[in-house]
Amino acid sequence: MGLKEYLGDIWEAVATTAKGMRITARYGVDPRETITLQYPEERWEPSERFRGFLYNDIKKCTSCSMCVKVCPVDCIALEAVRGADKKLVLVSYEINIGRCMYCGLCVEVCPPKSLTHTSGYEKATVSRGELILHFVTEEAVEIKARVAKQVAEAAAKAEAAKEAKTTDVSPEAPTGAKGDAPSVPEKKGVPPVAQPAAPAFAAGNPAAGDDGEKKPAQEPKGEPAKPEESPEEGGGKTI
Amino acid sequence: MKAHAEALPTQEMLINMGPQHPSTHGVLRVILRTDGEVVVNARPDMGYLHRALEKIGERVTYAQFMPFTDRLDYLASMNCNAAWAWTVEKLAGIEVPERAEYIRVIVCELNRISSHLIAFGSFTADMGAFTPFLYAIRERERVNDLFEDICGNRLTYNYVRIGGVSADLPDRFLEKTKEFLDYFEPKIPEYNNLISYNKIFVHRLANVAAISGGEAVAYGLTGPNLRGSGVSFDLRRNEPYSVYPKLDFDVCVGTGERGTVGDCFDRYMVRINEMRESVKILRQAIAQTPDGPVMAKVPRVFKPPAGEVYFRAENPRGETGIYLISDGTVNPYRLKIRAPSFVTMNIFEKVTKGLMIADIVAVIGSFDIILPEIDR
Amino acid sequence: MMESLAISLVHAVPALSGVPLWTLTLLLMVVVAAVVLTFALLYAGLATYVERKVAGDIQARIGPNRVGPVGLLQFLADGIKLLLKEDIIPAQADRFLFALAPYLVFIGSFAAFVVIPFGVGLIASDLNIGVYYVMAISSLVVVGVMLAGWSSNNKWALLGGMRAAAQIVSYEVPVGMAILPAVLIAGSLSLQDIVRSQAGFLGIFGWNLFHNPFTFASFFLYYTAALAETNRTPFDIPEAESELVSGYHVEYSGIRFAFFFLAEYGDMFVVSALATACFLGGWHVPFLSVEALPASWGNLFSLGVFLGKTLGLVLLMMWVRWTLPRLRVDQLMRMAWKYLVPLTFFNLLGVSLWLLLFRGKGIPAMIASLFG
Repeated sequence: MGLKEYLGDIWEAVATTAKGMRITARYGVDPRETITLQYPEERWEPSERFRGFLYNDIKKCTSCSMCVKVCPVDCIALEAVRGADKKLVLVSYEINIGRCMYCGLCVEVCPPKSLTHTSGYEKATVSRGELILHFVTEEAVEIKARVAKQVAEAAAKAEAAKEAKTTDVSPEAPTGAKGDAPSVPEKKGVPPVAQPAAPAFAAGNPAAGDDGEKKPAQEPKGEPAKPEESPEEGGGKTI
Repeated sequence: MKAHAEALPTQEMLINMGPQHPSTHGVLRVILRTDGEVVVNARPDMGYLHRALEKIGERVTYAQFMPFTDRLDYLASMNCNAAWAWTVEKLAGIEVPERAEYIRVIVCELNRISSHLIAFGSFTADMGAFTPFLYAIRERERVNDLFEDICGNRLTYNYVRIGGVSADLPDRFLEKTKEFLDYFEPKIPEYNNLISYNKIFVHRLANVAAISGGEAVAYGLTGPNLRGSGVSFDLRRNEPYSVYPKLDFDVCVGTGERGTVGDCFDRYMVRINEMRESVKILRQAIAQTPDGPVMAKVPRVFKPPAGEVYFRAENPRGETGIYLISDGTVNPYRLKIRAPSFVTMNIFEKVTKGLMIADIVAVIGSFDIILPEIDR
Repeated sequence: MMESLAISLVHAVPALSGVPLWTLTLLLMVVVAAVVLTFALLYAGLATYVERKVAGDIQARIGPNRVGPVGLLQFLADGIKLLLKEDIIPAQADRFLFALAPYLVFIGSFAAFVVIPFGVGLIASDLNIGVYYVMAISSLVVVGVMLAGWSSNNKWALLGGMRAAAQIVSYEVPVGMAILPAVLIAGSLSLQDIVRSQAGFLGIFGWNLFHNPFTFASFFLYYTAALAETNRTPFDIPEAESELVSGYHVEYSGIRFAFFFLAEYGDMFVVSALATACFLGGWHVPFLSVEALPASWGNLFSLGVFLGKTLGLVLLMMWVRWTLPRLRVDQLMRMAWKYLVPLTFFNLLGVSLWLLLFRGKGIPAMIASLFG
């Protein structure tokens, strides 16, 4: 290595170091360069489209369970019973935000737009059970009991009407109450009578979500066609 | 040399550069056999982050798989989303509206900038200069702010949909992007002054792990790793897709400016220059974005025709390819993802023979691998 | 010196005349040592705080700012935390050596505080072999580091320890040779003598830095070599965080780790203090003849000036750390033996020739004599 190269090396080292040090000095001295946001005194306001925690307005929800079907990780569980007016009544609606991946597919697909993202992102909890959000506040058994009563009343009224008609016109075949089951889940395996799903998780046991029972979110017949199909996914148990 | 070795017997050391290591860019395990400081054999051991994504793909629908592609390469999430969308659209022959394609290109190039920023930042941090990493993160936060405006998330975006994008651009998005570009462009010469041409940095990287062009092609390297070895091959130019034919940009190639062609420094400079080119592309795309719909008509229950297709996109880390076999149902029959980082690791063992332990870190950093992509 | 201090104490406080002189001397030694050690530890703690603040400023963020006003008590919080941590000694480690190593490193670093000339009369012990003593005692650090690396029973630690040993030992040579010009000019190894030899010329131009171009170069060479001695970036290969995950002190936790950490900052101070004393005029106050002042004022001013210069050099070390990347170990060794050693040797030759030719007069002296 010649002398010129040797000295050139030394000079280059010094010069590039000095150039770099000038830049860091500017940052070190200029207070405007500090960009720290001192949380929690200063909070970052999320944007309008921010995908925070989910929120379902159960007054608008029609229990169509599109959200359940489209969720890639099966974190939504929905249970509904058919009411006296043939419409579905929401019994329980749970989202496991610990499992949710905040992809937004459920919000996109919700027909009545009851499911939305909030701008919340702070929910540190001490047990995983607390990460399951329940949106129906009334007890499931009470709802079912109420709906069953309404259905029974409606059935009784229909019977009475039928009676009245048969006294007028005898040979008519009874067309009334086809004995609609108050709860469609009879078709499926487990009748979700008692037991809201919560206790399984309140103990903080993550494995309580029985994946085995839960069918994959998409069925071969995944048409949106049957909104009245009540959810069969493990009978209201969330994963 | 042999006589010397006989006179002084040495023993090889087996060191585990374990899954928990500050410099392995994720959970990569490298099993090193060294003779003192010189590496005799460095074998990568991958699989710590395997999540069976390809198997999940067989269980979910095409639309439901989109958020999983986010997690394939989380630093280039938009690019992976778009690659999946383009693949399925190629299979099903869906025509995407032009505005959606422009938006896709804009977000892909923004994501390329933020991915290269992380590559640059973490590479210099591995080399010992911790400051540029913070500057890179600061720039990246501004990109994340843009992405938060557009889709609501700051890392795993799930913005692209099959047939377009999920929502139109929000208010003033294009202006804000232009502001960001104006802010970012002078930062690149600042990084060059601070660290890129610093004598110590150059000395660390020049002539280390030089890969010739022929070798790079033989081992399947793609993206900046390939271009760093002097091969001018960029999918956006050689096999253009989307609206790239309408955009004018240069393909950055390593020239061996501080050492041999294809050494670590070349790969590093290619990434820095690519950021500059992305800025150029973005300016053109912003100017050319037309009005119109952002989503094509895709049936809610989407069943593409049976068949198979392979599509490849130019991701920041290389060529991300998706090979998709469909049997006409709502779920894919089989999908295979060609992850660029996985293929890049093939050359790792060969190229690290005879290097020092400190160079291993330089090589991993210059390849810019990311583990979720390798392990899927 | 302690003895004379003891004698003057007896004169001042007659009540102590009953106490034998040797007890008093011993007591004084202990007190002075305690004072110096307290200062050193306090400095080391605050230096960690300043380092983090400087790092934050350079990196566009705020450093610690929650514990105490502007985060000043952060080092206390860190210290208490380290004290309360579990003391983990690896299973197959050599327990005795593992426990001994931090002490050796600590001693090697803090024992050098004894000969640092803080002020006109403020020096714990003005050894007539001052410079030699500092060089010798800081070599104890090598032993400590090697023991730490070996006894950890960890290959990464071993690598780090070996690298550190090679590095420190190699850089001792240019450090020694770069300090020698100052010794030659002063004609003595005692640090107070070296500082006193830089008196005059408005208190600034008497500095050895301006004595002749060779000593000017010597200062920078010394500073660079000393940076390598203290294992600071760009020479922090032994503790390269991103490669060896802390190198030789990877297995240490709690207060044992604190010793290594404090020793590093102590070393920084010692090295900067040596540079100040030998090249930057030590405690000479600019535009003031500090030796002519009454003792207390003289000590105060000189202490302030000395600390200002030394801490300025320490700040420079921190600034360099956050700018530059790290050298690879073979490049480091190459730089020591192929660049620093020849340059410092050439410098030493130059200074010797200069002193011979110009009879020990520096450039400021020659300019002053021109003007009469």
